[in-house]
Amino acid sequence: MSEVRIVAEPRSEFGKGAARRARRAGKVPAVLYGHGSAPLHLALPGHELMLALKTPNVLFSLDIDGKAQLALPKDVQRHPIKRHLEHVDLLIVQKGETVTVEVPVSTVGEIAPGGLLETVVPALPVEAEATALPETIEIDVTGLEPGASVHAKDIKLPKGTALAGDPEAVILHILTPSAPEPTAEETTADEA
Amino acid sequence: MLIPRRVKHRKQHHPKRGGRAKGGTELAFGEYGIQALGQAYVTNRQIESARIAITRHIRRGGKVWINIYPDRPLTKKPAETRMGSGKGSPEWWVANVKPGRVMFELSYPNEKVAREALTRAVHKLPMKCRIVRREAGEA
Repeated sequence: MSEVRIVAEPRSEFGKGAARRARRAGKVPAVLYGHGSAPLHLALPGHELMLALKTPNVLFSLDIDGKAQLALPKDVQRHPIKRHLEHVDLLIVQKGETVTVEVPVSTVGEIAPGGLLETVVPALPVEAEATALPETIEIDVTGLEPGASVHAKDIKLPKGTALAGDPEAVILHILTPSAPEPTAEETTADEA
Repeated sequence: MLIPRRVKHRKQHHPKRGGRAKGGTELAFGEYGIQALGQAYVTNRQIESARIAITRHIRRGGKVWINIYPDRPLTKKPAETRMGSGKGSPEWWVANVKPGRVMFELSYPNEKVAREALTRAVHKLPMKCRIVRREAGEA
């Protein structure tokens, strides 16, 4: 994956007033931390950041006062309705370093007719070199019958990538459609 | 219909109506979902009605999740009663839904049918809503 170069400005004023001023100016407040260094507060250009974050686990090359720094997005906060970026946490990484990230899974192929594909784990935790993270992990579901499931250990990972989570975890499975209408108790997931 | 089995206090104050959802603003289970765009007290009858609207439309081959729970009682005094004499009796069970909250989720192989099912459910709900979809590559 190629790096996305972004010019970052260090922030000197903090709090919601300063953060809102930055957002009004088209910037997104961010914090950069990792490797035992003190957290660095930054303001990033909103539009460029939004475009870059369309790629999962995008590698940033931050230009902070002329110094280059590699970083990965650790946490992204969005407005729940307007969906614009409110704040970003960035994690310092170095070339050659192995990091654990969650990579979205995508499916290819068609399952056997009559089944319903349910993705239990939408993003798989993997270990990979920070500069060579896969964008997605493809799972071939061609011809899977209802009742079949794909475990983490069954997935063929890209070269240089290792599984970081439980190998027995069910990533996706094919549901058998139920004939009767489900009751309220079956369909309810209680509030967290 | 969703009703708490037992509660600590039978009669509560009205829940706060302001602000926006702090969590549950993203799809967690399904491919499609209904996201609230306004605040409302959603009653257990409305939740059940929306659920039935979805399941009747998709018939079979889909899965529905309800992410809200009506855990707050609202009381009502009987008609033609003079003021005073204490708080009324519990009448409704509601979920206090804030803007941004994803209330229902659905997995279904056909997008057109899934959207139609969710649109029918939106008509049963007391606030403006929108249908959201998990984007490609979104975790």
